[in-house]
Amino acid sequence: MHATHTGVTLVVLAVSSLPASARAQPPTDRPSPTAPQASADDPEGVEPRRPTDTADPTAATPPSPPSTAATGTSPEPIEVEVRGRRRPRRNDTAAVTEVSGERLRDSARASTLEALSQETPGLYVTSRGVGLHGIASGASGALHLRGLGGSPNTQVLVVEDGVPDYQGVFGHPIPDAYESFLIDRALVVRGGDSVLYGTNALGGVIVLENRRLAREGFELQNDMALGSYATLRERLAVLARHGEWDVTSGVSALRSEGHRAGAGGANDLAHFSVRWRPRPTTHLLVSTKLFHGTGGDPGPITHPYTDHWYDARRTTSSVQLRSWHEGLLLRLVPYLNTGVHRLYDGFYSRDHNAGAYAETELDLLPGWHALVGLSADSVGGWVENRGTEEVENVQGLTNTAAYGQLTVQPWQPLELVAGARGVLNSEYGLVPLYKLGTRVEMLPGVAVRARWAKNFRQPTIRERYLPFPTANPDLEPEYATTLDGGLNAHLGKLVIDAAGFRTHSRNLIRYFGAWPTAEVVNIDETTAYGVEGLIGVHDLGPLSARASGVWQDVGRYTRQNPSHKVNLAVQLRHTLGTGVLTGELSGEWVGGLYENNYARDPLDDVFFIDLALRYPLELSAREYSLEPYLLVRNLLDLEYEYIQGYRMPGLNFLGGLKVTL
Amino acid sequence: MPGRVAFWTQTARLLACTAPLIGCDYAYPEVVVVNELGESVLVRNVSFNGCKWDEMLAHEDATAPGRCLTGRDQVHFQRFDAAQYCQTQVEDDNLPGLCFCDAEDAPPTDPHDLGLVSQNPLWFNYQTISQHEVEYGSFHRFVLRPDGLEQDFSVPGPYGH
Repeated sequence: MHATHTGVTLVVLAVSSLPASARAQPPTDRPSPTAPQASADDPEGVEPRRPTDTADPTAATPPSPPSTAATGTSPEPIEVEVRGRRRPRRNDTAAVTEVSGERLRDSARASTLEALSQETPGLYVTSRGVGLHGIASGASGALHLRGLGGSPNTQVLVVEDGVPDYQGVFGHPIPDAYESFLIDRALVVRGGDSVLYGTNALGGVIVLENRRLAREGFELQNDMALGSYATLRERLAVLARHGEWDVTSGVSALRSEGHRAGAGGANDLAHFSVRWRPRPTTHLLVSTKLFHGTGGDPGPITHPYTDHWYDARRTTSSVQLRSWHEGLLLRLVPYLNTGVHRLYDGFYSRDHNAGAYAETELDLLPGWHALVGLSADSVGGWVENRGTEEVENVQGLTNTAAYGQLTVQPWQPLELVAGARGVLNSEYGLVPLYKLGTRVEMLPGVAVRARWAKNFRQPTIRERYLPFPTANPDLEPEYATTLDGGLNAHLGKLVIDAAGFRTHSRNLIRYFGAWPTAEVVNIDETTAYGVEGLIGVHDLGPLSARASGVWQDVGRYTRQNPSHKVNLAVQLRHTLGTGVLTGELSGEWVGGLYENNYARDPLDDVFFIDLALRYPLELSAREYSLEPYLLVRNLLDLEYEYIQGYRMPGLNFLGGLKVTL
Repeated sequence: MPGRVAFWTQTARLLACTAPLIGCDYAYPEVVVVNELGESVLVRNVSFNGCKWDEMLAHEDATAPGRCLTGRDQVHFQRFDAAQYCQTQVEDDNLPGLCFCDAEDAPPTDPHDLGLVSQNPLWFNYQTISQHEVEYGSFHRFVLRPDGLEQDFSVPGPYGH
C-alpha cells in the first residue's frame, strides 16, 4: 500500500487473528502507543503518534502476558509498508505529554485528573479524598500548570472529543466529570495554545479522546470495585462496530461515605456516542454526555461541615462532521454544554456554553500544510439566591474568531510552524493571538523544539458579576506569553523529555483578602519560569520505571503553585500461571506549597506512595478475561494535605474486578 | 454451561477476597466529648479532627462516639452560657417583671444603651487549650472543663462558591 507522497516510511505490524489477550485490550481507532500512526479509519490524524512524541512509552499498557503460547493461538504477523509524508500534528512544536487511556484506568490515583498529574511533568492537581473533588467552596481537582491555573481554575482548558468543556458561569471544568472508562488517550499541551483552542488555553490544554472500536464486533468491559469508606466504583463500557455504524457508550458511578464527616458523595456519568460512516472518507459523530454529582464541602478538619452540600447536573452534546478528500480535510463541530448547579446556601444557577467551529486542513504544496478555521462561542447563564430571591444581573460573552496555522517542512527533519488567531469579543473587541515554533529531528528518535505563543482567557461571569466573595465588572482579559523549548528522545527502551519555559503573564485575575473585604482585580505583570523533565525505561526484563518532575519559580503568586513536584513509578511483572502479576509502586512529592499568595500559609510537603497489584487472567478458551486488582493508597499511612485543613485519607484500599467480554 | 458456572464462581471468589477491605476504616479512633463546663453552659457544633457532632450538649451530656481521623487536634465547639445571657437580658430590661434580687448585683446607674441591646443569644467559638492525639483502634473520652478553654479564632469565614 503506497501513498502518493514520498518521504517517511511507516511500517505497521498486524496480526492475522486476534488472540484473547488482544481482545482484552482491543484495538481502537488509535494504534498502540508503541506503534507509529497509520490508521486508515481516521486518516486525518488529528493528533498522530510518532516515536519522538513526548509520550511516555513506559506509561503504555504493560505487555500482554504470553498467553498465546498457553492457548495455542499463534498469530502470524503481516508486514504492511506505508510510504508517504507524515501529516503534521496540530501541536507539533509544543511540549505535549501523551498518556494512554489504559494507563489512566489502571492508575492507583483516585480520579482521572490525579492520574493525569501522576503521568505529566508539571501538571499539579489538588485532591481532598478518595476521588470526589466536588464543586464550589472547598472543592479540589484544580489544574495547575507552569504557574497558571488553580484559583480561579479557569486557565487550563479541557477539550473532550474536540469540544471545549467549561461551565458558562464559572468558566472552569468540573473535575468529577472526567472518567477514564472510555478514554483512548489524553494529551497535555503544556504552555497552552489559544491559537488553536481559543479562550482559557492559557497555561495548558488537556485533550481527551474517547475510544472507538476499530474492528467489526462488540466489546463489553465492566470494572467494579469496593473499598475503604464504603466506596463503590462501577464502570461499564460498551463499544460496538457494525457496518457503517460505531457505538461508544458507558456509564460510571462512584459512591463513597468519605474518610471523614461531610466528605462523602456520589458521581454518576453516562456517555453515548454513535458514529455513522456513510463513506470511508466521511464520518458523522453524535455524542452526549450526562453528569450528576452530589456531595458536600467537608470543611477543614478542625471545623468540619456536614451540611454544605452541592448538586450539579451537566449535559454536553455535540455533532462532528468530518470529511477528507485528496489532502483536504473538513471538520464541522457544533456543541452545547449546559448545567444546573444548586448549593446549600440557596445558590441556583443555569448556564450554557454553546459554540461551533469549522476547520479545514490542506496540503498546499509538498511540505506545506495549512489549517484554517472559523469559530464562534457564547457563554451565559442565570444566577439567583433561592433563599433571598435575589437575582444577579449577569451578562454573557460572545467570541467569534478566525484562525490559521501553517506548517512548513523545507526538508524532512525541520518543521516550522506559524499560527495566528483573531478573536472578536463582544466586550473586549479584537484580541490578536499568535504562535511561532520549530522542531528539528536531529537523529532518528531525537528531536529538539521551541515555541513562542501568546494565549488569553476572558473573565468569567462569576468574576465579573457574582459576589462570591466579590465581583468586578471592569475586569480585562488575561494574557500569557509563553516561550519554551526542549528535547524529546525515544531511544529504544529509554525515553527522555526535557523542557524549559518562561511564561510572562499580563492582567492575571486574582482574588485578594477575605469576605467581606475581598477584591478581585487584574494584576499588572508576573513571570514564571522553570524546567520540566521525564525519564523512563520500559521492558527491561520485568522492570519498567519512570520519573518526572518540575522545578519552577512562580514569583509572588504562590497560591497552590508548588515550586517543585516529583512523580516516580516502578513496575514489576511476573508470569504466574496463565496471567502476569503486575505490581507498581508510584508516588508523588510536592514541595514549596503555599495556601496563599506572597508565600503565606506554607503547607508541609506532600508525599505519599501507592501500590497497585493486578493479575489479568487471559482465559482465551472462553470468551472473557478477568482482571482482579488491589489498589493500596497512601501505603505508608502518612499525614498530608494539598489544601490547608483538608487532610487526605490515611492508608486505604480499593479492590475490584475487571471483566472483558 | 460449566464454563459459565466456573466464571461466576471465580468472580464471586475474587469479590469475596476484596470485601473485607471495606471495613478497614473501622479501625479509626473513636472519640466521645463530654460537657462539664457548668450547669448553665450549653455546647454545640463540637468537632475534633474531622469529626463533627450535630447534637447540643447540656451539662454532663456526652456526644455519641464518632470515628475521627488519626492525629492531633484540639476539640472545637460553640459555647453558650444561659445564666450569663439571662443576666444580660435583665440588665437590659428585656425580661419585663424580672429584676435583680440583690440590689448589689444591679448595675449602678441607668443600664440602658439601646444601641447595644440584643436579645439574640450569642454562641462563642471556643477550643481546648491542649491538643489530643488519637491513634488507630483507640477510644478517647475528652471532657470539656472551664479551666481548659480558650477562644477559637481559627474558624473559617464565609467564602462562597
